[in-house]
Amino acid sequence: MPVPADRHFFIDPRRCIGCQACVHACSECDTHKGHSMIHLEYVDRAHSPQTVPTICMHCESPTCAEVCPADAIKRTEDGVVQSARKARCIACNNCVLACPFGVPKMNVGFELMMKCDMCYDRTSVGLRPMCATVCPSQALYFGTEAEARALRPRSTPVHEFRFGQQTISTRVRVMLPGADAAGPLDVTAAMHGEEAADPMAAVLPEGDLA
Amino acid sequence: MARVPKGDLEVLGRFGPHLSFPEGDRLDRGVEPDRVVKTHCCFCGQQCGIQLKVKDNRIIGFEPWEDFPFNHGLLCPKGVRRYLQGSHPDRLLRALVRDEAAEGGFREAGYDEAIRLAAQGIARIQQEHGPDAFAVLTGASLTNEKAYLMGKFARVCLRTSNIDYNGRLCMVSAAAGNKKAFGIDRAANPWSDILDAEIVWISGANVAECAPITTDYVWQARERGAKVVVVDPRMTPIARTADLYLPVRPGRDVALFNGILHLMIESGWVDRAFVEQHTTGFDEVAAHVREWTPRRTAEVTGIAEKAIRQAAEWWGTAKRSFLLHARGIEHSSHGVQNVLGAINIVLASGRIGRAGCGYATITGQGNGQGGREHGQKCDQLPGARDLADPKAREHVAKVWGVPPDSFPAPGVDAYEIFRRVEQGGVRGLLSICFNPVVSLPDSDFVRRMLEKLDFYVAIDFFLSETARHADLVLPGSLQEEDEGTVTQVEGRVIRIRRAVDPPGEAREDWRVIQDLAKALGREKGFTFTSPREIFEELRRASAGGIADYAGITWEKIERQHGVFWPCPSEEHAGTPRLFEPGSWNPVARGNGPFYFPDGRARFNVARYAPPTEDPDAEYPLFLTSGRVVSQYLSGTQTRRIGPLVEQYPEPRIEMHPRLAERLGIADGDWATAETRRGSCTLRAQVVRTIRPDTVFIPYHWAGPKSVNRMTISAQDPISKIPEYKACAVRVRKAEGPPSYVREREAQQ
Amino acid sequence: MCRVERAVVRSIGCGFLATGILGGLILVGSRRLSHFDAALVAYTFATLFATFGIAYRYAMWLRRPPTAMYWKRGWQVFLRPGFLLRNLLVLGRRLLVVFAMNRFIWRRHVARGAAHWLIMAGTILAVLITFPLVFGWIHFEAVEGQMDRYVTYVFGFPALSFHVDSLLAGLVFHGLAWASILVILGVMLAMRRRMRDRDAAALQRFGEDFLPLILLFSISATGLMLVVSYEWMRGYAYEFLSILHAVTVIAALLWLPFGKFFHIFQRPAQLGAAFYKDAGARGEQARCARCREPYASLLHIEDLVEVERQLGYRYELGAGADHYQHVCPKCRRTLLAVAQARRFGTPSRGEA
Repeated sequence: MPVPADRHFFIDPRRCIGCQACVHACSECDTHKGHSMIHLEYVDRAHSPQTVPTICMHCESPTCAEVCPADAIKRTEDGVVQSARKARCIACNNCVLACPFGVPKMNVGFELMMKCDMCYDRTSVGLRPMCATVCPSQALYFGTEAEARALRPRSTPVHEFRFGQQTISTRVRVMLPGADAAGPLDVTAAMHGEEAADPMAAVLPEGDLA
Repeated sequence: MARVPKGDLEVLGRFGPHLSFPEGDRLDRGVEPDRVVKTHCCFCGQQCGIQLKVKDNRIIGFEPWEDFPFNHGLLCPKGVRRYLQGSHPDRLLRALVRDEAAEGGFREAGYDEAIRLAAQGIARIQQEHGPDAFAVLTGASLTNEKAYLMGKFARVCLRTSNIDYNGRLCMVSAAAGNKKAFGIDRAANPWSDILDAEIVWISGANVAECAPITTDYVWQARERGAKVVVVDPRMTPIARTADLYLPVRPGRDVALFNGILHLMIESGWVDRAFVEQHTTGFDEVAAHVREWTPRRTAEVTGIAEKAIRQAAEWWGTAKRSFLLHARGIEHSSHGVQNVLGAINIVLASGRIGRAGCGYATITGQGNGQGGREHGQKCDQLPGARDLADPKAREHVAKVWGVPPDSFPAPGVDAYEIFRRVEQGGVRGLLSICFNPVVSLPDSDFVRRMLEKLDFYVAIDFFLSETARHADLVLPGSLQEEDEGTVTQVEGRVIRIRRAVDPPGEAREDWRVIQDLAKALGREKGFTFTSPREIFEELRRASAGGIADYAGITWEKIERQHGVFWPCPSEEHAGTPRLFEPGSWNPVARGNGPFYFPDGRARFNVARYAPPTEDPDAEYPLFLTSGRVVSQYLSGTQTRRIGPLVEQYPEPRIEMHPRLAERLGIADGDWATAETRRGSCTLRAQVVRTIRPDTVFIPYHWAGPKSVNRMTISAQDPISKIPEYKACAVRVRKAEGPPSYVREREAQQ
Repeated sequence: MCRVERAVVRSIGCGFLATGILGGLILVGSRRLSHFDAALVAYTFATLFATFGIAYRYAMWLRRPPTAMYWKRGWQVFLRPGFLLRNLLVLGRRLLVVFAMNRFIWRRHVARGAAHWLIMAGTILAVLITFPLVFGWIHFEAVEGQMDRYVTYVFGFPALSFHVDSLLAGLVFHGLAWASILVILGVMLAMRRRMRDRDAAALQRFGEDFLPLILLFSISATGLMLVVSYEWMRGYAYEFLSILHAVTVIAALLWLPFGKFFHIFQRPAQLGAAFYKDAGARGEQARCARCREPYASLLHIEDLVEVERQLGYRYELGAGADHYQHVCPKCRRTLLAVAQARRFGTPSRGEA
């Protein structure tokens, strides 16, 4: 059965508390049991506890599939970009390096790329993916667009992203501020910018910083 | 006597902690479980609903339980991996008897022999030194039924006044504060009230790591426009995104609350009508906070004045609000004062007892709420009744079928019990669900006291660091091996369902206790055949008390997804929100919403005093301690679960780069922290998310990695909670890695 | 003429070329069909068709930019002067570990490894026996005057001779039966997994996953029935069975270029990828434009930049000076959060 067309992932990294429930739960789903497909990383631990969970964004025209020399990555009709086909993947790492979101993982021993497949065993029978089901902050949410908007009226799901001059459309949505925020989200614009400040500086009196 | 007989390492080798990882049928994608059991996670007071998959009397995995209304399937990493504590190689399958010659210092023994030996040991001590010479230490992760039985066992079977529990380390400051102010000790509101708040105030609660699923409640409120204020010396994950983050200097929370109340009064943000109608004592408190000007508050708390004013304005002008606090303000020698300070700003706002207007402490332990209600506390009888109250004694004595004057007088708190060991008053100990060697402050003292005991029996499922000191270990049950009820953070009584049977010769804890009673020749009152029978008696024992469970049945719990106490009759649906007009209140009887005869809440003067041991020239920094998300309490269970250990293998000393620079310490370096009581050498984690005058060490580890060897045993004079959150420490760069690195695995 | 059409024409050319070469070899090897068994002509034509299909598809496949890049680079790094000898040694080891032993599949799961290895071994054995026989490249003749000795002729040249009761003879004449048994065991293991495991249930497709197993099973089963028929049942239903067997084999041959079996021909690319990685590891490493950490070989990154351009992606940053490919995967992941946080105006690295 296909994943219902109206059910989507909604990611809000602001909410992420870095607890790794998603990482643990991911390896409990039947499609990739024993292997966690989620990346959960600190953005910059020295300066902030902010973490970011990365799942596959399930691009409409996936770069990973296009750069695959072995035709191993397929997008099913329901818009889910599947993990590499085991018979074909030659473990070349092209997808790992080319994915604009940094999603695929290379299992060196298996000589196989593995990636988030939206817990296909669950989503294809109407369940929610493991990570979104357990995520305690709901930084990872899975539901319909209407549900997401009702729960989060002050933000808008966006599914277009800019990387340099390239725009990528995805099945997975990211929450942006405002009830009518518009995409695309310019990801590479965030490469440059402000120096990190001391979070304690603004709230502590001078003496306490000494 | 109760000395760890062999080298530490030999004990570790035989009893662990070792790690378990998913393997075999837990990884097989073709195995169908025999059944899927709807129950709750055993780690922490949130008590998230979870479904356990069982195959051949083994828990092989989990499935989220999305229909359970509190967590809707949400789980933290501990919940996801909790199933790995089952079928663990370290699980105690038989009783252990001290034997110096045996590996790890214990020989295995038959269950009946062990019970007989235990009873003999208890009887000998009580005959020679009186009933109070034998103490009982219990825990707040026990079900209500077990907690109730432990209290009854101590009072009726052992007749010792010395019973106390590890909730003493956890919820007692909140409990004492709540009883003083509201006359009742329970979260005032269900968590759903968080959603409608305009401001969510979180003081001393690392919500993201200690109550992770509450994060979603906070964010749902934010999505509806709520502002979030977080008070914590560390910028925790929930503090990162807060609208206002107040990095309070450790041990100064009451000063902040007094400062906020000062500004509320000054700016006319007090709900005068509410204060007049429903409270007493405001004027005295108002007079007391007059001196807490923003400037003084800023000086004492170490928070910028501007931020204090902003917080006061948001709190003062909100229409609906929810204040949450936890151990951060409670783990203090002035913990009750801190809690009273928090309650004062709630009462002054008038925002309580209505939808979207709430106040709660976040319970920490699995049955943090229920465990503190049914008589395993030194001064308490079931139904949150006072042991010193003759009417309470009479009621409970009737239910138990014993004369009221047979009950011993109130005893002393858990830490004081160890001091009594030192003085010779306590010579024997029975412990269950408590690992004081890791969890009590100044733990070298605790270890010495365990070694001094004449006779020590532990009931445990793994050989905890404390149980290693026992003369006798009886194999008890894991949460999933027994059934019963617990009361989670909101005051909602829920069902723990049995998923598997206890393995080997292990028994359900309540059977162990009853077998002991029988072997002691005092079987009367300890002949229950199921936890359900115990619950039925608990209902009667709690009836008419404040924590009234009389109307709660297991069927009703199933039907309603839990029942909020007080629930005085079977027709009564329970009380999700306290202090509403017309809600059940056996104390006020219609005089008002609060649990005092006049129905009025009490303002209490909340006095500031610095921590017992403030930094000085010799020990110039604050040491504070707390949890990490992947571990639970003393780690007896979670340090045995491989994937959780991998997430955060060993404690680190968290410090600000300014401090680290001064000390010449870089991220990842070995650093030694030292207090007047002990020292630890750990790796440094250098981050800008902690106050530069404070270092933080999580507390879940034992032996050379245990922060509680350094913490201070100062206690709150009212609640007797230890001061885990502030003592004086000095830190220096270590010369090299400590010797334990070569000898022990990370979790050991 | 557009690129696609030209590619098709060229690939068709490749198909014809490969078919022609095989046809020529059949003519030569069977000494102008003098050793060719006319009864097997259907097999031959199915094979020729399959050859065309495989060559066509392979040629089309090689035209895809990433494949072309790997094809080119794979040979370049393999044949690089000074490394050839070492590469040959490594090749030998890799052929053994990867292809003969399937070590990487055993690591995925023992049952998977066993299933694949059994099917592979059985199939290779069967191919080695049947194809030369069908093409007339090998035939046996009784040694004159010695009715119990046979001589093997390879490409028309006499080679080995052996006794009719020898072990070798038993292996040669019953090789196909052994091959069938290996394949059937492997198919059963694979089927068990497909029918039992929930991951398989969720992902598998009939055409992609079951059809090849069914084909392999049919070929092996009908082949074994032939053996049973002439060994123990005096040729009962032999004619029917041989037609049935031919149908299954021809179906598999015709399907060879299209479905899962095509991986047999794609798979050697794994070796190219491995040598490419070796060469990359020896060369300069690329450092991430954001975090400055090394994350891949410079060779690989620059090739990917080129491949992405050929594919029509425009990952160039700013004024075309730099390229997003120079950002490492970890930074790519964190950038999304930083970009989102900036839109919200909330601090991402701790700015208050």
